[in-house]
Amino acid sequence: MKRDKFFSPWLFLILPLLLYAIWVVIPAFYTFFLSLTRYDGLLSPEFIGLANYERLFSHDTFYISLLNNLRWVVVFLIVPVTMGLFLAILLSKKIPGARLFKALIYSPMVLAPVVIGLIWTWIYSPRSGLLNHTLTLVGLQTLTRGWLSDPDIAIYAIIFAGVWRHTGYVMLIYLAGLTSIPPDLIEAARIDGASAWQRFRHIIFPLLKPTTTIVIVITMIESLRSFDFVNIMTDGGPFRQTEVLANFMYKEAFARYNMGYGASIAVILFLIMVIFIFIYVIQRREEYGGGEKVV
Amino acid sequence: MKKIIIFTLAFCLLLSFGVAVEADSLDGELIIDAYTSDPAPRAAMNEMVETFQEMHPDLDIELNITAHEDFKHAIRTWLASDTPPDVFTWFAGERAEYFVRNNLIRDITHIWEEEGLFDLYAEGYQRESIFDDKAYFLPHQTYIWGVFYNQEIFADLGLEEPETWDELIEVNETLKENDITPFTIGSRYEWTTAGWFDHLNIRINGFDFHQEFVTGEVPMTDDRVVKVFEKWKELIESDYFIEYPASYSWHEALEYMEDDEAAMYLMGSFIHDSATDELSEKLSFFPFPAIEKSPTAVEAPIDGYMMPVHAQNVEAGEEFLRFAASVEGQQNWVEDVGRVVPNPNVPEESYDEETLRERELIDGAEGIAQFLDRDMEEDFAITMMGYLVEFWENPEHYMDILERLEDERQFHFEQ
Amino acid sequence: MFNTTIANLIGLSWWKKVSTAIMFVAVLLFVLVWILPLVGAIFTALRPLQDLRAHGFWSIPQEFTLENFAVAWDLGNLNTYLKNSFIITIPSLLGTLTLSSLVGFAVSQYKFRGNMFVYLLFLSGMLLPFQILLIPVFTLSNYLGIYNTYLGLIMIHIVFQMGFCSFFLTNFMSTIPSQLAEAARIDGCSEFKIFYKIFLPLTKPALAALGTLQFTWIFNDYIWALVLIRSDSLKPVTAGLATLQGQYTTDWGVLVAGSLLAAIPTIIVFILLQKYFIKGLTMGMGK
Repeated sequence: MKRDKFFSPWLFLILPLLLYAIWVVIPAFYTFFLSLTRYDGLLSPEFIGLANYERLFSHDTFYISLLNNLRWVVVFLIVPVTMGLFLAILLSKKIPGARLFKALIYSPMVLAPVVIGLIWTWIYSPRSGLLNHTLTLVGLQTLTRGWLSDPDIAIYAIIFAGVWRHTGYVMLIYLAGLTSIPPDLIEAARIDGASAWQRFRHIIFPLLKPTTTIVIVITMIESLRSFDFVNIMTDGGPFRQTEVLANFMYKEAFARYNMGYGASIAVILFLIMVIFIFIYVIQRREEYGGGEKVV
Repeated sequence: MKKIIIFTLAFCLLLSFGVAVEADSLDGELIIDAYTSDPAPRAAMNEMVETFQEMHPDLDIELNITAHEDFKHAIRTWLASDTPPDVFTWFAGERAEYFVRNNLIRDITHIWEEEGLFDLYAEGYQRESIFDDKAYFLPHQTYIWGVFYNQEIFADLGLEEPETWDELIEVNETLKENDITPFTIGSRYEWTTAGWFDHLNIRINGFDFHQEFVTGEVPMTDDRVVKVFEKWKELIESDYFIEYPASYSWHEALEYMEDDEAAMYLMGSFIHDSATDELSEKLSFFPFPAIEKSPTAVEAPIDGYMMPVHAQNVEAGEEFLRFAASVEGQQNWVEDVGRVVPNPNVPEESYDEETLRERELIDGAEGIAQFLDRDMEEDFAITMMGYLVEFWENPEHYMDILERLEDERQFHFEQ
Repeated sequence: MFNTTIANLIGLSWWKKVSTAIMFVAVLLFVLVWILPLVGAIFTALRPLQDLRAHGFWSIPQEFTLENFAVAWDLGNLNTYLKNSFIITIPSLLGTLTLSSLVGFAVSQYKFRGNMFVYLLFLSGMLLPFQILLIPVFTLSNYLGIYNTYLGLIMIHIVFQMGFCSFFLTNFMSTIPSQLAEAARIDGCSEFKIFYKIFLPLTKPALAALGTLQFTWIFNDYIWALVLIRSDSLKPVTAGLATLQGQYTTDWGVLVAGSLLAAIPTIIVFILLQKYFIKGLTMGMGK
């Protein structure tokens, strides 16, 4: 019986762990190795030490990409989070059609980023797109432009397509969080004469703190997954101004065949992600009182 | 004795079936990967493969047509895999040589010999297909780059094909006065800008300098290169181009010509593939005007076929190449797509007037450039084209841009 | 403060009605703008190119046509791409759910050395940026001879999604009291039977939620298809759309129609299984 209990978990785990090791764990480490080589995908990797990283840290495309990733994170933390929270609070009230409204607001999130990217590319298209046509219709001709070719705004135009997809997600999480707040508490505050803002500021928002943490972590992770949008909408153009690390990496590795160099970008992306993972794990530990299991 | 009889019998049998067997002996799967994704080349490619299929009914042909840009990205992956296609479309010159250098391509010298291509094909084609005295590339078609213009607009405004820089500027000014943008261009995919660079460079500094430039040995801050950008800057700052070029792919930018809002497009003759029939009929072309050098060098990228070294069905692949080298394998590209093909036995009647003019220009050229990203090491050419788009957006900062591009050049070529 | 005072003055129910009406209108307006891209896309797809080119988007449509959809479906190969998407998504989904429920059961129900390690291993896999796997997994698939096959793509989906699914199912299964397993063990039930007969049925709601979520995630994948599939005939719909974009770059009607066709399966899943979908998203948070 004791032996049985010792082996059982491993019997369940052996196949998943094996596959996981082959497809995820070993490849992840292999990327670290590749990042120290020159590898064109044709000949064998040639060890070159830290040369790829040296190149990376002196490459302006890297800094442009990093800055754009940062822009994704910042815009994502501000716009969808605020909007999602606001919408969640509005729609948690008894409004006719709330169910339908909710569904319509979060429907973009079931669409593939590629689908959304393509639709928004059309919207931004200067000659045929919805946006310029609409601006012209309402007399704002001066605002029309090449949304995806203007180096100053293209990245925000892409991010907005991402925001459109992500806001519904945030709203959903907040809606779930709101259900855990006892309505009596809010009712009591109302009877005590607290204004809507005061109720939000002093009761609802503090009680939503754990939800907000989750929203922030998920939003940060989502903002790093900008590849699909950038790849389909501009592929980093005009002249690298909308490049993000993921697309930069993909192009270096699979379009320009600098696989070793691409691997070094992947490693940097990984390290950035590790910071997020760290925050996430710490947060969960705190939430569950630092128990043995973090579940 | 018995053996001899059996052998004789078998031999006779073989002989009698010989012809039939030879024609139909190809079987198995033949995988052809192609980048001919625009409608007209796609149709021509399908037709070509269908003809070949009829000749070899037992062959199971899989034709994968991938969009041009995707194809360029993906082919390395495919070649590096253990299951590459048997035949794939590719570009002549440095691009082909790169794969050859890496031992990824089959030597097809014997096909060249057996089909007599060494005698048949013009020198220009051979130079781009043969590396270290061995043939690796089968040139199949080419097209010329030039300024394609709307004849109707030119006629209405009494304009003529400009032959010199000053004449070009005059044409531009007249067009602008009539509220027509002289040039359209779509640089969402950055390569279209390289057409401008190449032509300005060749016309200002000459073909020999172009050949030197593409080796990567000329500094970007060299006076001759700077001069190209100064000339180019004049054009951009005079508003001779459409707004937001980087918003459009080159096809999309054609809409400006279709709607008569722009009059000219510096493009390859494949512009006809994507233009509406209405526009296509109005189009004619002139060679990029002379600046300091007369327009005797042309830009005419050659497309053709190669076989990966790991091709599975070598026999069928080689047979397809033989077919592609023949008149039957090339004629429909002349007739349906308007390409110039290397096989001189394709009758003149197959060509239309414009294409025949192309063929003459190509045959009489002092030199044939393959286009920046085919002549130059591709990795660097991609970087450079990014800077060209940046220059287009900020022409006034051209010196700063060239200095940064020079850093890239040094990094790349002195690595 | 203000609204409560007014409410007291003019009667609570009347105020409530007005404020509800204001909120309703505000939300309605917001939603209309919010879904304009989708509605606009549908109208564009339904109109012939010439009409749009000549009169612009906000003109009154001269006629409606399904032509764009037909072109995207047929010439644009969307029919093949969509079929491929299902061939890839369904086995991936089943595989990842099966393997992950094994992990979830083992990690949540046994106290053993390495328990925490296994849990964290899958957790970090969930958060791992896929970029770090692209090059090696491409090399690996090539080495195993499953590059440019459905199987190659299915394998990476199964294994990569195990990170999230295992994490999710471990969390869920740890809410099932372990006394259940103890009791079954005393009755002489084998370990596998405990998993199969007791835990799996109890996990059904979680599996339904997770399955719905995973369906959309795998179906919507783009980059793995880009890296691991070569043939046009094997591409799922996301990679196919990129091909369509290269092919019909001027024809927004066809491109948008193709995008909408590509979205139909996930939209259907979403409409039918909305409840599970939302549950999946919020349960994943450990709520």
